[in-house]
Amino acid sequence: MTIPYKPRVKRKFIGGYQPRIDGLEKAQGKPLYADDIINERNYPGLLYAKVLRCPYPRARILSMDTSKAEALKGVKAIVTYKDPNLKAMKPTNAGWTDAVDTVSYDGMMWGKFRDRNILGDYGTWAGDEVGVAIAAESEQIAEAALKLVEVEWEVLPYVMDPISAMKPGAPIIHPHIAPENVLPFDPVGGPDCFLSKGDTDQGFAQADVVVDMDTIHDNPTQGSLDPWCCMVQWEGEQLTVFSNSYATDQTRMHMSQMLDLPLHNIRVVSQYVGGQFGRADTGDQPFFIFTALLAKKAGRPVKFKHTRRDSFHDTRQPALYHCKVGAKKDGTITTLHFSSIGDIGAHADHSVFALKFAPAEISEVALAHIPNQKMESWAVYTNRIPGCMMRGVGNSQFNFIFGRMIDGLAEKLGMDPVDLAIKNFGHEWGSRPDPSLKAVLEIGAERIGWKEKRHKPGAGELIDGIKRRGVGFSLHPAWHAEWQEVRRGQVQVRITLLPDGTVTLDAPTVETGTGSNTCNVLGCAEALSFLGIEQKDITWVSTVDTDNGLRDCVQTDSAVSFLQSEVLVLAAKELKEKLINLAAEKLEVKSDLVDIVDGMIKAPGKSISVKDLLMKGDLVPLSVMVSRKPDSSRTGVPYIASFADVEVDTSTGKVEVLKLVIINDCGTVMYASGAEAQQIGGQVMAMGEALTEELIYDPIRGVPLNFNFVDYKMPTILDMPKVEPVLLEIWKGAGEYGACGIGEGTLTCSPRAIANAVYNAIGARVDEIPITPEKVLQALGRI
Amino acid sequence: MENSPTTSSNERIALRINGEWREFEIGKDLQPWMTLSAFLREKLGYTGLKVSCDEGACGACTVIMDGKAVLSCMILAVEANGREITTIEGLPKDDPVILAFAEQSEPGHGTALQCGYCTPGFVMTTRALLNENPNPSMDEIREALSGNLCRCGCYDAIAMAVTHAAEKIVAKGGLS
Repeated sequence: MTIPYKPRVKRKFIGGYQPRIDGLEKAQGKPLYADDIINERNYPGLLYAKVLRCPYPRARILSMDTSKAEALKGVKAIVTYKDPNLKAMKPTNAGWTDAVDTVSYDGMMWGKFRDRNILGDYGTWAGDEVGVAIAAESEQIAEAALKLVEVEWEVLPYVMDPISAMKPGAPIIHPHIAPENVLPFDPVGGPDCFLSKGDTDQGFAQADVVVDMDTIHDNPTQGSLDPWCCMVQWEGEQLTVFSNSYATDQTRMHMSQMLDLPLHNIRVVSQYVGGQFGRADTGDQPFFIFTALLAKKAGRPVKFKHTRRDSFHDTRQPALYHCKVGAKKDGTITTLHFSSIGDIGAHADHSVFALKFAPAEISEVALAHIPNQKMESWAVYTNRIPGCMMRGVGNSQFNFIFGRMIDGLAEKLGMDPVDLAIKNFGHEWGSRPDPSLKAVLEIGAERIGWKEKRHKPGAGELIDGIKRRGVGFSLHPAWHAEWQEVRRGQVQVRITLLPDGTVTLDAPTVETGTGSNTCNVLGCAEALSFLGIEQKDITWVSTVDTDNGLRDCVQTDSAVSFLQSEVLVLAAKELKEKLINLAAEKLEVKSDLVDIVDGMIKAPGKSISVKDLLMKGDLVPLSVMVSRKPDSSRTGVPYIASFADVEVDTSTGKVEVLKLVIINDCGTVMYASGAEAQQIGGQVMAMGEALTEELIYDPIRGVPLNFNFVDYKMPTILDMPKVEPVLLEIWKGAGEYGACGIGEGTLTCSPRAIANAVYNAIGARVDEIPITPEKVLQALGRI
Repeated sequence: MENSPTTSSNERIALRINGEWREFEIGKDLQPWMTLSAFLREKLGYTGLKVSCDEGACGACTVIMDGKAVLSCMILAVEANGREITTIEGLPKDDPVILAFAEQSEPGHGTALQCGYCTPGFVMTTRALLNENPNPSMDEIREALSGNLCRCGCYDAIAMAVTHAAEKIVAKGGLS
């Protein structure tokens, strides 16, 4: 059943159901992505780079001979770990920032965990970039040349899971950073026990009910269709980078700091990117540097592009969670203890953000009313693919235990978990019941048929003699209200009113598919309503170029949809003032007597259209640039929830999701069709994560087996259930719109909602995702 | 290897691309090992089609060959000799399929595209489907599009767009 959302405030542009501004050009296949632009037609003399990837889970290069590769016709430049400039290069990581803010080398978020070298001699997972990069006349020649490089490897012992990695005697992967494979204290994440409130020992002792549980969140990968790709070109000391990095300022800062070049000598350009999903290219990847070195050495532009295999470079970090909860008989939760072990893979990246920051943030909001809390985490190196952010950072992993806790505790207490959640969760600044939480759960329950379909675990009707149905849900506080974006710093936009009354909108952000470009145009039209303009009169600048001078507001945290529109409100006011002053001068009246309504300038006894005023003037465009820091008013957060209806075949173990209801309180819906696209679209990742997607390793050799789209099972159209999106405007943040980002959160709750529904269906828990048929049959005691 | 003596040849192939017959010399204009997707994108500049998996698993490189949707990363350019190829650049700007994908926005389904990377593949698969079956059922639509991956997850809206494209074709009085 389709029920369009009801806006709290009816506006002319913001919030509507309408096509995307780039719908037509994308449907025509016209937008140019990095790989479409970086070719020999656009960059004559272009060379192609390839890099050596460590074939072992852990190994060191003892010696290397590149002479045969150098002799191959078409090879133009080779750089290796033995080059003095590479040896002298500062150690780095591949996650200076989550791209919310731009950071320098010294200011990188995880300065204690600089565990990568640009083309070092030490590989820590099968796929690590090591030792040598080659630029040649074609990709095939570069590939062939790599095969001619003779490498003597010292193959080292390795460890593939965090529990083994924590045991005495385990191979130590980065001894200078983590002498026991566990990441040490850092200022952002804090100590192992990163949160302690009240007295949990006493809390458990005094609780009427105590429940323990464990969950395992395995590692899906982002699966963007657009492989990472860059082109670096030197013209004297001037460096140009074209890439599908979605963080141009960070790319420029990275290259400046690693290559010791002044910022003004570096120009970084990006435009359309084929998917972000939490780990698009933030421009601080080592490949930018070795590509630049190759381009310098060859004196020609060089392209580096990932193959599909190379595109398996990050995951949602696997996490093992334990939770112990204590409550009173009436359902009041008094005590919570969460502990987790994160498999961060071979490089630390933003792992600590996922394991410590995200849960601590939830403690501050959803769990604010619970007196006794303890949270501990250990981030552990293994020789697997690195894992950190993927459409959220730690939220999905935490939700998988959080939603399990609600369901398990409610069962023990004999309560409806919806009631248990409403009773206990809110946020620090509000009272309970929280209106947003109550709304998302009650509407979700109604839409899924909670009261009618829910039954005691495994006690539902048996269908066709083998199938059982069940319902489940999970909830989470959203985490992209404006006050949570303060770290971003200034958000900058420029509106240029052209002489014919049309508008150019510079709201720099690399378009990755989120729909924020449409939000920006709608926000611009809304703010400029005094001009009487329509959406079609506004051109959104799709190329982000550091030479433009404006800060690039990076597509992260799902927040760009409203952050730039809030600034546009101020920019429009400033533009109106400028226009009034111009009109006052022209009409020879005092400016406070002039007003502009629907494109007409009005003063006592005089009237002229904005267009006439401008076209009869000097034809100089009227431009305003406004910077604004996100509003830090602590307004709390809205809630999100997923409800699932599933059918489990108890003979095969296959889980069929019949329906998902996804509820997001947005504060303000900026663009309804785009928001629903995020809600529905997020379920493709959620379904994969819950049921089919997993990275499989050969346990004997420690190498990945399914880093391709044939064997890594991302859902197709046939795998998807009916998804019902529900948008709400209950909570409101600061500013004109007071919106909250939703993109990441659309999928956070769904794997747990599905897992709880599976339990409701079969009466046996599968608390490790993906919930494969084997795990279901094991839970049922069939295998 | 490019320009290697073993692959040089004076053999020519002819392809009808977006309505125009064009001749190419093997060894000079293209290499025998070159995939159709690489040839179309890199040598001829038809960048609408994308190469994402390069092994026939994602559908992003779909073009129409002799009326059928094919994966151009799984065909050698030389195999297309004598064939008629349509890329997304060859569709009219107001093609009902393109318009339906662009406009899709009704409540409850979202938009038919987000990042747009997979979109040309879906458009071409849909075009081929509707050429053969102008009035497909929802099951037929889902089956026909099951070889195309959309990681942004616009499947529901894509299926709606296909039904709207079919309606547009009927409204225009049949196949365009």
